[in-house]
Amino acid sequence: MATGGESPEAEDTFAKLLRAHATLRGTRPAFRHKDLGLWQTWTWAEVYDETRAIAQGLIGLGLKRGATIAIVGANRPRLYWSITAAQMIGAVPVPVYADAVADEIAAVLDHSEATIIVAQDQEQVDKILSVRDRLPRLAHLLYDEPRGLNEYAERGLAALAAIAAIGRAALADPAVARDLDRLIDGGRGSDPSVILYTSGTTGRSKGVVLSGERSIGAARCTVAFDRLTDQDEALAYLPLAWVGDHYLNYAQGYVAGFCIACPESAETAANDLREIGPTYHFAPPRAFEALLTRVQIRMEDSGAVKRWLYRAFMDVAGRWGEKIANGEPVPLNARMAYRLGDLLIYAPLKNALGLSRVRVAYTAGEAIGADLFAFYRSIGLNLKQLYGQTEAFLFVTAQTDRAVRSDAVGPPAPNVELRIADSGEVQFKSPGMFVGYFREDDKTRETMTDDGYVKTGDAGFFDPDGQLKIIDRAKDVGRLSGGQLFAPKYIENKLKFFPEIREAVAIGDGRDFVAAMINIELASVANWAERQAIAYASYQELAANPRVYAMIEKRVDAVNRALSLEPVMAGAQIRRFLILPKELDPDDGELTRTQKVRRGVIAERYASLIVGLNSGASEASISAEITYEDGRKGKLEATVRIVDLPPYPPARAPRPPARKANAA
Amino acid sequence: MELLRAVFVDPFAQMVAAPDLLAQTIWEGLVAGVLYSLIALGFVLIYKASGVFNFAQGIMMVFAALTLVGLHEKGVPAWAALILTIAVMYALALAIERLVLRPLVNQPDIILLMATFGITYFLIGFGELVFGGNPKSMITKELLLPDGALDLHILGGKVELQKLDIAAAAIALIMVVSLATFFQRTRIGRALRAVADDHQAALSVGISLDQIWVIVWFTAGVVALATGIFWGARSEVSFALQVVALKALPVLILGGLTSVPGAIVGGLIIGVGEKLGEFYWGPLLGGGIESWLAYVIALAFLLVRPQGLFGERIIERI
Amino acid sequence: MKAETDDILLAVEHVSLSFGGVRAISDVSFDIRRGEIRAIIGPNGAGKTSMLNVVNGFYHPQKGAIRWRGRARARMKPYEAAAQGIARTFQNVALFKGMTTLDNIMTGRNLRMKRNLFWQALRRGPALDEEIANRRVCEEIIDFLEIEHIRKTPVGALPYGLQKRVELGRALAMEPELLLLDEPMAGMNREEKEDMSRFIVEANRYRGATIALIEHDIGVVMDLSDRVVVLDYGRKIADDVPDKVKSDGKVIGAYLGVSH
Repeated sequence: MATGGESPEAEDTFAKLLRAHATLRGTRPAFRHKDLGLWQTWTWAEVYDETRAIAQGLIGLGLKRGATIAIVGANRPRLYWSITAAQMIGAVPVPVYADAVADEIAAVLDHSEATIIVAQDQEQVDKILSVRDRLPRLAHLLYDEPRGLNEYAERGLAALAAIAAIGRAALADPAVARDLDRLIDGGRGSDPSVILYTSGTTGRSKGVVLSGERSIGAARCTVAFDRLTDQDEALAYLPLAWVGDHYLNYAQGYVAGFCIACPESAETAANDLREIGPTYHFAPPRAFEALLTRVQIRMEDSGAVKRWLYRAFMDVAGRWGEKIANGEPVPLNARMAYRLGDLLIYAPLKNALGLSRVRVAYTAGEAIGADLFAFYRSIGLNLKQLYGQTEAFLFVTAQTDRAVRSDAVGPPAPNVELRIADSGEVQFKSPGMFVGYFREDDKTRETMTDDGYVKTGDAGFFDPDGQLKIIDRAKDVGRLSGGQLFAPKYIENKLKFFPEIREAVAIGDGRDFVAAMINIELASVANWAERQAIAYASYQELAANPRVYAMIEKRVDAVNRALSLEPVMAGAQIRRFLILPKELDPDDGELTRTQKVRRGVIAERYASLIVGLNSGASEASISAEITYEDGRKGKLEATVRIVDLPPYPPARAPRPPARKANAA
Repeated sequence: MELLRAVFVDPFAQMVAAPDLLAQTIWEGLVAGVLYSLIALGFVLIYKASGVFNFAQGIMMVFAALTLVGLHEKGVPAWAALILTIAVMYALALAIERLVLRPLVNQPDIILLMATFGITYFLIGFGELVFGGNPKSMITKELLLPDGALDLHILGGKVELQKLDIAAAAIALIMVVSLATFFQRTRIGRALRAVADDHQAALSVGISLDQIWVIVWFTAGVVALATGIFWGARSEVSFALQVVALKALPVLILGGLTSVPGAIVGGLIIGVGEKLGEFYWGPLLGGGIESWLAYVIALAFLLVRPQGLFGERIIERI
Repeated sequence: MKAETDDILLAVEHVSLSFGGVRAISDVSFDIRRGEIRAIIGPNGAGKTSMLNVVNGFYHPQKGAIRWRGRARARMKPYEAAAQGIARTFQNVALFKGMTTLDNIMTGRNLRMKRNLFWQALRRGPALDEEIANRRVCEEIIDFLEIEHIRKTPVGALPYGLQKRVELGRALAMEPELLLLDEPMAGMNREEKEDMSRFIVEANRYRGATIALIEHDIGVVMDLSDRVVVLDYGRKIADDVPDKVKSDGKVIGAYLGVSH
């Protein structure tokens, strides 16, 4: 951290960090937010001032040390400040997913025992008010954006700005200001700093309690690891309640003192990315994939010369780009060609994607396709993988700049101890490790080993150069009735590497063979269908189209071929598949908020299809009721075709597999 | 073989051998091109705002030049004649809006096209009646336009730039830039773009079609006056001059009827292409290809780029 | 929340309109009070759109008069109606398809731009301040209608529901006294209709626009409007508050086709 000026070293709470930055770099930008089409900027000194006002206002509402306060909404500066304001007092902020439906919000709010809620806008306020009868403790509901709320006369409803104004007025009294200073000083690093609720891939979500000193300690490690300084800038567009945002933007931002930019709205994030040009960026693989798809579609629509240049130089990048990025020796003429390509294609491309200033980019959350990963690495984006968990306060492993591969997630992050249990489960001890689950000590005990390691629930192994490879959830790895190993996620990820496949669910544990239900990616298949002159009126019709089926069959067959090359996995090739007539959707409970499939829900809703897959039938029917976000119900009725595929014989001797086949 | 050589090798060899001649040819092409651009701009402005292909654009140019020269002949000083001519063009725009466009509003395009034929013959008749049918010469000197030539000794030879041409290029450039700024930034410009896009919607936000039409026809009239002065100075002011307007047609094919940059760049391409073709390839065909070459260039270009120079594929949901 | 005063903004008095021999509107009278949401409903071909066209000057009635702010209005053109504070949207969306969302909404400010054209062209002085002030109004409307993400998108490429929103935005940018909405929710799904209803109500309450709207979704009409006038075959058959209109025999007849 030599380059970006000093960074506070001793502070063990976020409130103290904020105070330190306000003195160290008071005039540097701390937050940005695009409002009415313009970027508004607040300096660290201003943020400290605003945050104190909110904190004093919250004290006025009776918020005390140890009490919880919920924050519901998208990435907005005032919501981040509310988090710090609560931490100033010693209260515990609980960020809640903004796109959660009322029921989910009620469950989290109730479990967290929050008496005060800070909500972003009318939408969130309405949602909370609709479940108010289930929140007996709720005393104050504050909102950031007043639009549409002027005429609400609900008990306890007030504008955050009004509360902050009261706080600011009170702070004019030096005695009150001194009291607040004392509260900040009195904050202990070992106290709970935040409670982050897990997204709940498996069962109900749990509240992960993190302490200030551990959170800040972990962030210090990675800030040093990636050499982040106050000259950096990140776009905070990931869900506020997600550990990724809280770590990468909030914790690292407060440690390094870099600027956190909040997009205008979720829809404008891609545009805002271009305008801000962050230097530090995280995106899940599917976001990188969507970007690439957009590039490819645009290239296909562009003129012949541009297309030719693009192909030629992407070829150069594909051959040399990753080697150059990894610092391997490369012949001079290749280096020159790459330079030229950078001038003509890569740099403009990165600029169009908003990635031209990015120094460090991470992806995680699911496996990333080798080609996809290689694409970004080869055009000179320092994209790396990490493996993390809410319980670790994100980082468990992270790749170093010079040893990056798509099929592994890197060696242990700084100061992380990592081991593979006999069961194959990955276990860790880390600087940011959680304190426990909120109000669920039994669950905490279940998750910890006797010697203080956290069980991740993921199965994995170390490859020869020390990078961790994750196969699947430990409990999801099963066996076919013939005894062959069956790792559903491994197979699903291989399927999902194809742009045409959005989601896949593989079924095989305890059964005779592997079958798969496939969800097509509308954007990509629709584009393909247009070029093939296939007419369709709805998603359902497109999904059932015989030519779409034939195209997907080729993809499944390719996955089988790849599986057949891997001795351990060759027995679990896909023998039958079908295409789902409906897009899996978090609003219908089929996916989690972080877009992971919920197997239980799917097994139940699509039971008739699964029966069909496991029988010899050539089609299966489904009739299911679907509940939409707003409580309306709809009916899904369809008959879908099931396709049989011949398996490939297992490869005899293990030979070096193709890059793609090796990806996990 | 001989022929291929004459078409594909010799002209380029000539260009390389005598770069000063090449520069001279290109310069002349550019000057002609700028004037084509101005004429095409007149067409584009009117077409955008009122959806009318103004057949009378060529005659408006002659009429403007004729009025200027005619007034001067009748003893009006040059500067006053210029101002008066501009006033006449404004009156003409008002009259066309009131007497032709307004009564024909919501009529099919072909009727409006026919109406511009009417305007053409009216202007010919009226011009002859007032100023007589004899060719006149442009009052270049009185308008303080420079004459003579500027010799540049470059590229191992001499390139001769007519001062009049330099003035023409400069004035055309000033007009194009100010028109572009005006239409890009002012409320009238925004209104014009709105009218060009959807009449009904424009009316509903309080844009007066009548006012916009007058402005557009007046602007086209002023542009016509400028082109009339310079074309008139190159030859003479007579009704035969209106055929120059036909040169704008390939420009419009190339640049599109609705694109201002298309008109400008299209004009330059046609101008330069025509002069190069005439000078280097013309002798092969015995010369005189200038009159039709422009169309060949435009059509050849369209084969490669069917949407025209700046045309965008129309994105519209149905 | 309703304007209970009898402050009448616009009165239609015995208006008749015909095209050739075809009667579109026969002797219709009704009024619009300042601050209310007034619905005009009726089966297809009842003369609803013709009525709006009369109000904003697209059509000129052969008989009858329009009183605007208490004074009889002379035959006027649409742009004059706009200058007097009447804005509207269209059944089939009339937007400037080649322009961006922002430019479309900015055209709604055209009447408010008064500064010298020369300074406008140079973007200097008071003209610049004026441009900025108007841009701000438009940005507030963009924020209000939640269309930030399409600010710079040419509207021709937008889906229908968003186009309707942009069109409403352009009308709101005029800060009209009377806003005429011709089927603002046609072709929308339920969620889009709910959004649009919210925008209409908020435009009425907080932006102070009196609204007259035509809509086919009777549920929406009854929810939104303060008073409803019902037309059938160019005649007025009912004019009352929604509850009364709902139970009116003639209205039910017209809608169910009993009387024809």
